[in-house]
Amino acid sequence: MNNESISVIKVRDILMVTMPSDPDDSTISSLQNKVLTAMERTDAKGVILDISTVETLDSFFARTVSETAQMVALMGGRTIVAGMRPAVAVTATQIGLTLKNIETSLNVERALDAATAERPRDPR
Amino acid sequence: MNPVLPGEIAIKSESDIVAARRTVRDAAMQVGFGMTDVTRIVTAASELARNVFKYAGEGAMTWRQLEEPGRMGIELRFIDHGPGIADVQLALQEGYSTGAGLGLGLPGAKRLMDELDIQTASGQGTTITLKKWRMI
Ligand SMILES: Nc1ncnc2c1ncn2[C@@H]1O[C@H](COP(=O)(O)OP(=O)(O)OP(=O)(O)O)[C@@H](O)[C@H]1O
Ligand SMILES: [Mg+2]
Repeated sequence: MNNESISVIKVRDILMVTMPSDPDDSTISSLQNKVLTAMERTDAKGVILDISTVETLDSFFARTVSETAQMVALMGGRTIVAGMRPAVAVTATQIGLTLKNIETSLNVERALDAATAERPRDPR
Repeated sequence: MNPVLPGEIAIKSESDIVAARRTVRDAAMQVGFGMTDVTRIVTAASELARNVFKYAGEGAMTWRQLEEPGRMGIELRFIDHGPGIADVQLALQEGYSTGAGLGLGLPGAKRLMDELDIQTASGQGTTITLKKWRMI
């Protein structure tokens, strides 16, 4: 059995969402709800999704992450996926998972820097 | 190194998908695959275990170590007695899904593994055999 669950904490105005290492499908499915509820409740401006302990990112998991990021975007927020392991990234690419329109960061510290930086994506 | 003992587990609940991943991870590591290949094998197993649960309701996974001159490998087999796959070529196409998925499970598993064999017919259930090899 897998009793680990998703943790959500607010750091400054960012939601830090941490996935357990081997979540079952119900846990994965609960991601969207947890994040959206917390966005609403805390008025956060963005989400950092920490997947640094995740060892398997299959198509179901990846689809849930993409959909969650889309919902966050609709609420005016930004999602950064942090800490994807190299083996997971290689496998995801090979399977054809694109994680389109999702920002990624090497680790949580960098994601936090990026998320809290002033005008992070201003081209000038 | 101890050889991996062959085994079988039932896939009839969500938690069995997690159990299948753990079992395959342990077996693949014991066969001596590196981290990237272990991740590939476990991800393929996760896709197929979920397909069994989602489309057939229940089934089983068997695993065994393969040994040949110059190489070792792992074989995973996913067996169910569900509805079967009417058109295998179509099911292997990226983006084809009857279940509102991404349609990446089967084609993805094929790319991640060295061999993928599908025995199925409409109403006859589905048996999918995967193999991955490493040189020794
Ligand atoms: N064990 C099975 N029994 C019956 N049909 C199956 C089985 N496995 C796959 N299929 C059929 O093949 C199609 C393609 O499977 P595939 O795993 O590639 O995509 P998916 O499950 O629809 O989506 P994804 O895996 O990306 O979430 C499925 O939609 C289903 O119609
Ligand atoms: Mg599938």
